[in-house]
Amino acid sequence: MKMLRLLTFILLASVLGMATDVQTYTIRLQAESDETGKAVGVLALANCTPGVLVLPLGFAAVEDLRLEEPAVGVRLESVARNGMTQMKLTLPADISAKTNLKFSFRLKQVFQVTKLKPGEKSTLPASSRSFKHAFVNTQEGVIGNYRVELIFPNGLMAQAIREQLPKPAKNEVGPRVLLTKLEGRQAAILQLSKLQQGDDTSMVVELVPIRRSFGWLIAGLVLAGLYLFRFRDLVTKPKS
Amino acid sequence: MEKMTLSSKTREAQSPTEQWMRYLGFPGGILLFLLIMYLPAGAGLSAGAQAGAASFALALVWWVTEPFPTYVTSLVLMFLLLVTRTSNAKAIMDVLGMEVIWLNLLAFILASMLVKTRLAKRMALWLVVRFGHKASWALLAFLVLQLVLAPLIPATAARCVMTLPLMIVVATIYGSTEATPNNFGKNMMLLNLACISVLSSITMTGSSANLIAVGLIQNMGGQRVYYMDWMRVGAPVAILTMVLMWILGQKLLFRMKPEEQVPQVEGGLELVKKQFEAMGPLGFQEKKAIAIFGLVLFLWMTDIFHMRWFGVEISAPFAALLGAVIVLFPRWGILSWAEADIPWHLLIFSAGAYAGGLALDDTGAAEWGVRMLFGGMNLKGVPFGFTFTVVISVMMYSHLLTTSKTVRTLIMLPIIITLAKALGWSPISLALPAALCIDWVVGLPISGKPNVIMFSTNQFSVGDNFKYGMLTCTIGVAILVISGATWFHWLGITPSFWAVAP
Repeated sequence: MKMLRLLTFILLASVLGMATDVQTYTIRLQAESDETGKAVGVLALANCTPGVLVLPLGFAAVEDLRLEEPAVGVRLESVARNGMTQMKLTLPADISAKTNLKFSFRLKQVFQVTKLKPGEKSTLPASSRSFKHAFVNTQEGVIGNYRVELIFPNGLMAQAIREQLPKPAKNEVGPRVLLTKLEGRQAAILQLSKLQQGDDTSMVVELVPIRRSFGWLIAGLVLAGLYLFRFRDLVTKPKS
Repeated sequence: MEKMTLSSKTREAQSPTEQWMRYLGFPGGILLFLLIMYLPAGAGLSAGAQAGAASFALALVWWVTEPFPTYVTSLVLMFLLLVTRTSNAKAIMDVLGMEVIWLNLLAFILASMLVKTRLAKRMALWLVVRFGHKASWALLAFLVLQLVLAPLIPATAARCVMTLPLMIVVATIYGSTEATPNNFGKNMMLLNLACISVLSSITMTGSSANLIAVGLIQNMGGQRVYYMDWMRVGAPVAILTMVLMWILGQKLLFRMKPEEQVPQVEGGLELVKKQFEAMGPLGFQEKKAIAIFGLVLFLWMTDIFHMRWFGVEISAPFAALLGAVIVLFPRWGILSWAEADIPWHLLIFSAGAYAGGLALDDTGAAEWGVRMLFGGMNLKGVPFGFTFTVVISVMMYSHLLTTSKTVRTLIMLPIIITLAKALGWSPISLALPAALCIDWVVGLPISGKPNVIMFSTNQFSVGDNFKYGMLTCTIGVAILVISGATWFHWLGITPSFWAVAP
């Protein structure tokens, strides 16, 4: 029994020791007004060991997944699992210890499409779009830094970050999802460090048109004008 | 003196300026709302955060200028937060169930008990007989009282509610009532308001936000702050500021007329003495009130031992709840429900203020504002003294942007520690002095729980609070900067003010 445990430990240790390290995993997704999107990702790998490396993409219905700058002997295939797409990378025997891989893919539908049943209440206004991204590290190695950048379509901005998980730890500065500007448009960046196997991270962002309705302006000015007229006695001297 | 009712009536405008402020405040608030709503959005700000900031700005203008009673403004703010989609209905409504609202409600039941049993009157008369020969000594007595209570009871709202009946009765003796407030009443209420918050910064256990700051300095800055480290820098700054405010409040901000400096009850101090003597020895009901209040006070003071003693922590609202149960108990209690004076208008005002403050925090608007304040300055290569002054000023005045000390600490301290590291300074040199500002939430009636409670007395306006609070903060910044250059430097906390990091 002891020998069996020892053997299992040695096997596990050797597998973990041999696993390719994912130092950084970055995806930049540019969403367009027609709700399609093009993503470019970069993987910085260290201690590369020949064999298969399967990494989840965190997106469903991915199209045209391919390596942008083909590394010699590296193959990339997409594998569908539980409705999500995974990247299956085959690393050749002569791969160098440190390798950067750039890949890209397309998304037909970046935003969530919710079909309402008859009588069901909508939870979003008609002009809103909802983007959801969830990622689970399913491979055995640790991912050093995971980062997803969503560049919003022209004419849209974030109404609110509806979900950002996990909550930042005490020693982390800044929120889990940061709103910023990339390539001249507003963007949301999800970032998490040291993802162990099974760790997950997610964001849900609601987007709305940048241009606000003029309803506020009209209502505000009418109310202000009415008040100034009806309450003018506050500053006029009472007639004797 | 027998009553302590907190009226929901709007305070009358006292001068033509106030009348104009009321008249123009309504359209002014709307214009500010529209301006912020239609400004081009900053890249780091969501539409929800922008709408939240616009709604809060409108409410702030209305709270200051008072075209409506403050609680109506709070209701408007709650509605705006919903229709601008800044917060959802549940988040807004849930505010009424927050700990601070419950504490207010229960504490007012306890305060009603002190008034009904005439214990508040007895203590106030004693205070006036003992220290009230001059109004300024009566004010000083309250400063000392708050100084004694601060390390004993960390909950600022509890301290406020405990001493509020005394303040109201003493103010009444000096002729300041909610119908006819005078400068003694303003000095009394605002000095206590400032003392309750500022004196919490004497010890690191003065508020939970202080402890969070200590944790952040240790975890992120790698430097440990001990109880005495905090106290020897925090105590002199807080006490000196409050003594200066005791003087400046009377001499500069709200000068008291000669008749306001002596008890205004007919017969003067002699009559007060006679009234005190006429009360005779403590009655049974008063003794019962002392016992009930003593039990609540004991639970407030010993909260760190609760887990060990009872296996559960009885937080400040639940200690007050236990007191309220005993007070309202049939036959054995002191009050009936109808006799409890619960200011619902104040609770609605608080709920709106907190809903607005939480929206600013939740949407990231407060954090964005703070980042913009620091991000706009290049502090690389400048002398330490300049960086120190900027950090202390931003930390001190940033309380006007948020209603939660905890949230402000969690936003600001990591930024300050990171900034110190990036500039090459020891994290503690900026973070500890900045942490001393956490409790100085004195600028507006919505800035802190005690402020909300004190504002309900109708003895001062939002403008009075702002004036007093800003002077307190400015004196605090000045004393902290002087201390940073001298006292803190001698203690080894700060480098020389002229030093430039490599």
